[in-house]
Amino acid sequence: MAAGTVPVSGREGWGGDRFGPSGGTGSAAIARRRRLADRALWSACGLALALVVAPVVWVLVEVVEKAVPGWRWSVLWTRSTGAGGGLSNAIVGTFAIMLGVGVLAGVVGLGAGIYLSEIARPNWRSAVLRGASEVLSGVPSIVLGYVGYEALVVGLHWGFSLLAGLIVLSVLVVPYVAKSTELALGQVPLAYREGGEALGMARTRVLRTVVLRSAVPGIATGIIIALAISVGETAPLIYTAFWSNGYPTGALLHQPVGYLTYATWSFYDDPSTAVRALAFDASLLIIVVVLALIGISRLVVRRAQRYSPERAQGAGHRRGQVGVD
Amino acid sequence: MGPADYREERLATMTEDARSARASLAGPAPTAAPVGPRVVMSAKDVRLGFGRTTVMEDITVDMPAGSITALVGPSGSGKTTFLRSLNRMNDRVRGYWREGLILLDGQDVHGRDVDPLVLRRRVGMVFQRPNPFPMSIADNVVAGVRAHRLAKRSQLRDIAETKLAEVGLWSAVADRMHDSPFRLSGGQQQLLCLARALAVEPEVLLLDEPTSSLDPRSTEAVEELVRRLTPARTAVIVTHDLAQARRLSDYTIFFYQGRLVEVGPTAELFERPRRAETARYLGGEVDPGAER
Repeated sequence: MAAGTVPVSGREGWGGDRFGPSGGTGSAAIARRRRLADRALWSACGLALALVVAPVVWVLVEVVEKAVPGWRWSVLWTRSTGAGGGLSNAIVGTFAIMLGVGVLAGVVGLGAGIYLSEIARPNWRSAVLRGASEVLSGVPSIVLGYVGYEALVVGLHWGFSLLAGLIVLSVLVVPYVAKSTELALGQVPLAYREGGEALGMARTRVLRTVVLRSAVPGIATGIIIALAISVGETAPLIYTAFWSNGYPTGALLHQPVGYLTYATWSFYDDPSTAVRALAFDASLLIIVVVLALIGISRLVVRRAQRYSPERAQGAGHRRGQVGVD
Repeated sequence: MGPADYREERLATMTEDARSARASLAGPAPTAAPVGPRVVMSAKDVRLGFGRTTVMEDITVDMPAGSITALVGPSGSGKTTFLRSLNRMNDRVRGYWREGLILLDGQDVHGRDVDPLVLRRRVGMVFQRPNPFPMSIADNVVAGVRAHRLAKRSQLRDIAETKLAEVGLWSAVADRMHDSPFRLSGGQQQLLCLARALAVEPEVLLLDEPTSSLDPRSTEAVEELVRRLTPARTAVIVTHDLAQARRLSDYTIFFYQGRLVEVGPTAELFERPRRAETARYLGGEVDPGAER
């Protein structure tokens, strides 16, 4: 190889050209082995990617195929009856549950995350709290649902109700919000905090005006996951909110509430074709809502990152995370 | 006028709430208050460290008002730790402890009635790497002003403009006040951080190697600015760059292995160092104590 030649394209240059001919005995074999290892690794990555993407595509195709051909827009504004009708009551119920969980789990989870990241010293108490949160996120949702049924629906005589559903779902998703908040706050550069403190800003002010602001993308992701779970969970709600053909009345207690996942879970094997169709309509609506949530979270993140170093570096390019340290 | 009289005189000029801090000053008498320029910050028999390690000991030094004092010494000599103890930035660092007195205008900065937030407003700080906040350029400048409620909302824009002009950044950012600070160059970001620090009108400005991540031209801009700050304000600057210490500072303090080896007017210290370690360090030896 001519002196001073710089390999232009990474792989060929490093593999054959640069070390091959001029490298003496053995280096061609080494280069070949490297190339093979390289190829094997990339293939494994590609396979893993396919394994992640394939189920998503499969589910989407299946649901769209089943739901779209018989789609009636009236589903959106017709209440369900025992023998068909629409899903408007379930749609309203799902949004009510989403809103309630967003507020309840958002406040508690954000508080817990801030406490773990900013206030708690690393001692046994914070270790217990963190451990409990991790255990909680591992408890199967149906177990939480049953406990909620025993404790709230029966124990406190709340009956099947919106509040019982909200509390059980919130217990389920608080760990996600807390964890993502804690992690996001932990990644905020020390330089921001010190910069604020050096100006004589109080710690709470630094947290509010500087630190939380740059942690918004991580926190938003946690809350969106929480909302997506609350849209998609079924088991805890069957035990606590049960189902209703009517609209939620706004009553927190003694009023069962309908929601989309119940329709999917309960209608899919109904003898009536009209009711079976509603099961797929509900699935489609759930997917649309979750996709919308993801879209909203992207918007929130974009807006929150207006002033972030990453955005400034990537200005004008669609480079994703490349080049961001 | 003896040192004690001098101290009394300073006390007399103190504000009403500061006056109650007298009690804390009744302790050890200052040993080395120079006659002449008013001393704005000083350390008396300061010893500090982390956990079981003593990082610095035996530090007694005065920083005259309106001067630029350079802290020099090899890496690990404790200059940054000392600088950060002047505005109590080490307070929350785990294991940090301190003995002795650090005085601002004669008042113990650790006194019970001293609010560290007010202390840090009076003693500002600029860091080694520019650290603008993730908010617009205009909001960055007035972040401290807002926190201390130093101005009305309607005045904030003017303050931002004035301070940016003061650091020489206004013409470059006038049409992008609401843009991200991270689109500025490193040097401009550091000037922005200086504008932010100056916006709360500190009496003392601590600079921790403020130009070590900057190119020569930006370095010059920062130095020029620091020079302009005095004598209205006092500056204390940690630097690895001996040439910078020499061309910028009025006084130089040489730290070595956690001790204050020598302090004096910069020209004097550089031309006629009294201590062998100082001479060797200024002569370019990385470890000036090795030959002892």
